[in-house]
Amino acid sequence: MRRSSAIPALVVVIALAVFIALLMTRTSGGGGTSASSSAASSSAAPPASAAASASGSAPASGGTTSAACTPPRQEGVTLTYVSFGGAYQEAQRKAWLTPYTELTGVAFNEDENSSNATIKAQVESGQVTWDVVDVGNDFGLDANKDLLEPLDYTLIPRDEVLEGFAGDYRVADMTYGVALAYNTDKTAGQIPAGWADFFDTTKFPGKRGMWDYSEGGIFEVALMADGVKPADLYPLDLERATKKLDTIKNDLVFWSSGAESQELIGSGEVAMTLIWNGRGWSAKHTDKKPVEIQWNQQIVTADYLVVPKGTPNKDAAMKFIAYAICAENNAKPSEFIPYGPINKNSKPAEANKADLSVSNADENSAYFDDTYLIENYAAIDAAYQAWKTN
Amino acid sequence: MSDVGVAGRNRRPGLPRLAANRWSLLVLPAVIFLLVFFLAPLALMSLRSVTDPPGAGLSNYEKFFAQEAYLRVLTNTFWIAVISTVTCLVVGYPFAYLMTIVPGRVAGLLLIAVLLPFWSSLLVRTFAWQVILRDTGIINRFLLDLGLISEPLTLIRTTAGVILGMSHILLPFMVLPIYAVMRRIDPEFGRAAANLGASPAAAFFRVFVPLSLPGVVAGSLLVFVLALGFYITPALLGGLRDQMISQLIVQQIQQRLDWGFGTAMSVLLMVITLAILFVASRAVRLRDVFGSAVEE
Repeated sequence: MRRSSAIPALVVVIALAVFIALLMTRTSGGGGTSASSSAASSSAAPPASAAASASGSAPASGGTTSAACTPPRQEGVTLTYVSFGGAYQEAQRKAWLTPYTELTGVAFNEDENSSNATIKAQVESGQVTWDVVDVGNDFGLDANKDLLEPLDYTLIPRDEVLEGFAGDYRVADMTYGVALAYNTDKTAGQIPAGWADFFDTTKFPGKRGMWDYSEGGIFEVALMADGVKPADLYPLDLERATKKLDTIKNDLVFWSSGAESQELIGSGEVAMTLIWNGRGWSAKHTDKKPVEIQWNQQIVTADYLVVPKGTPNKDAAMKFIAYAICAENNAKPSEFIPYGPINKNSKPAEANKADLSVSNADENSAYFDDTYLIENYAAIDAAYQAWKTN
Repeated sequence: MSDVGVAGRNRRPGLPRLAANRWSLLVLPAVIFLLVFFLAPLALMSLRSVTDPPGAGLSNYEKFFAQEAYLRVLTNTFWIAVISTVTCLVVGYPFAYLMTIVPGRVAGLLLIAVLLPFWSSLLVRTFAWQVILRDTGIINRFLLDLGLISEPLTLIRTTAGVILGMSHILLPFMVLPIYAVMRRIDPEFGRAAANLGASPAAAFFRVFVPLSLPGVVAGSLLVFVLALGFYITPALLGGLRDQMISQLIVQQIQQRLDWGFGTAMSVLLMVITLAILFVASRAVRLRDVFGSAVEE
């Protein structure tokens, strides 16, 4: 009896909910925002906060001065700049935002929670409040073209940007390396020469740290360890990679944030780990732990600047991006943090030069094929989950 | 879960009579709030799972069931939730019982002991377990230094580690409902049972335990449903295989921006959870569980 009266009531409630939901979609201009935005962990954001401020001095100097470096005064303009927070955003603030405000009068609002999902939610709901966003290498390709404004390359000096780091909707702003870090106490004076040694637990006993993300380099380093040349990594041979990974499956310790990787290698919980170079640098210089980076076979990658579609400050955003990318300014964050320039003519700060991914790039360095990774995400992630849970 | 409770309460006076009473209009703001901020987003999410990408239909669900690995993660999610619930029950029931039989001041201290961890963040508590359990952690260091072991014990990156961490966080949700019910059980019942010749054990198991069952069910459901949504603790304390489905959902929503697939997984998790609650509601009256228990 009590059930029979409840069911019609339940149907009414559900119908109402659907009705209101439809109303909400209608008013938000299609798409629908749902409840699922923001919150969540900063887990997968690439270099998150990285090193603490480095020993300053030796200001970075640029090459030629282009128009991009000399933006006009724009009184009354406010841009919202979004990055990954911490020492990372601090470096960008000191290198780009503060001088830009002095030069042009543009004021900045800052948000420290860069998130692809928030960009999507803002664009879909038509409530775009972010103007310039620093994102990881998994965002900003053609797959996301509905969410982004095409960049204005009449302002941004595209030909000065390293090959492959400028696209229609994104331009890299700084480079970092996905490299091998080792704890010298654990390796007993021996130096691991590359990823082959990472997989050799006889020669180098101890656990291995790895980013728990199918496209964060796990397959790439397994293939390099198995003898694949960096240039021949793509398309990924997933079967070969998982077979190689099986050999150290029980020795792997997964991390999901940069802070974790820094802690794992610093404490010696793992003898070696895959790491974002800034985190390895922090383990050594900030935490004073016996940690070194092996640059051989590093994967060079970058963070990118994008402009969410529909921002009312599009033109001002483009001018700022041009300023940050131009030769004179692009290397400036490297005064504060071991992340390097993307502009070929921009000279990194001497103090941190040896610790930059770009300074250590050579013929053994690999590069993520972001387009391939995004297009084949489903297959790559399925292979990863299958390997992990098997 | 809470909507089930509300529905259960509305049922009692019967819908027509409720409408006739104008005082019942006072509940309207709450109903509207629930509709707009709780049920409508849920409906939106469910819609999205079949409309994104356009014309998706059930393809997002097919995608999920086509991957054996995703199914393994789903099964694993429920398995971990079940073990955590049982662990919380085994620890929580005696604890709650202890709280009812000790003097008031001691009971207060015990209550604080349960509630204290509530005041620090889940992440901090999980990291604390890491510091204790890992190879270079407190336990292993201590045992290694004493020479009791030569290799670190595998305490972390195991399912046991996950259960330990999760049970610690979820224990209050088990203890509090059980304690609330136990406190209201009239001690006279026990004495009456003894008077009628029951041994203390018989009085406990045949009188006290059945009367405390609503609390057990409430606690278990709370813990179980909360456990289903965990992922940070399994990620930090578990091994490769201790992955839970929330982790996959976050990845789809946050990084891949495949909201169709992400919402499909969320809907699946929700539907299965509701199904379990429905079965549970047939076994026990949810009204007793979430409403005012043991009044008879």
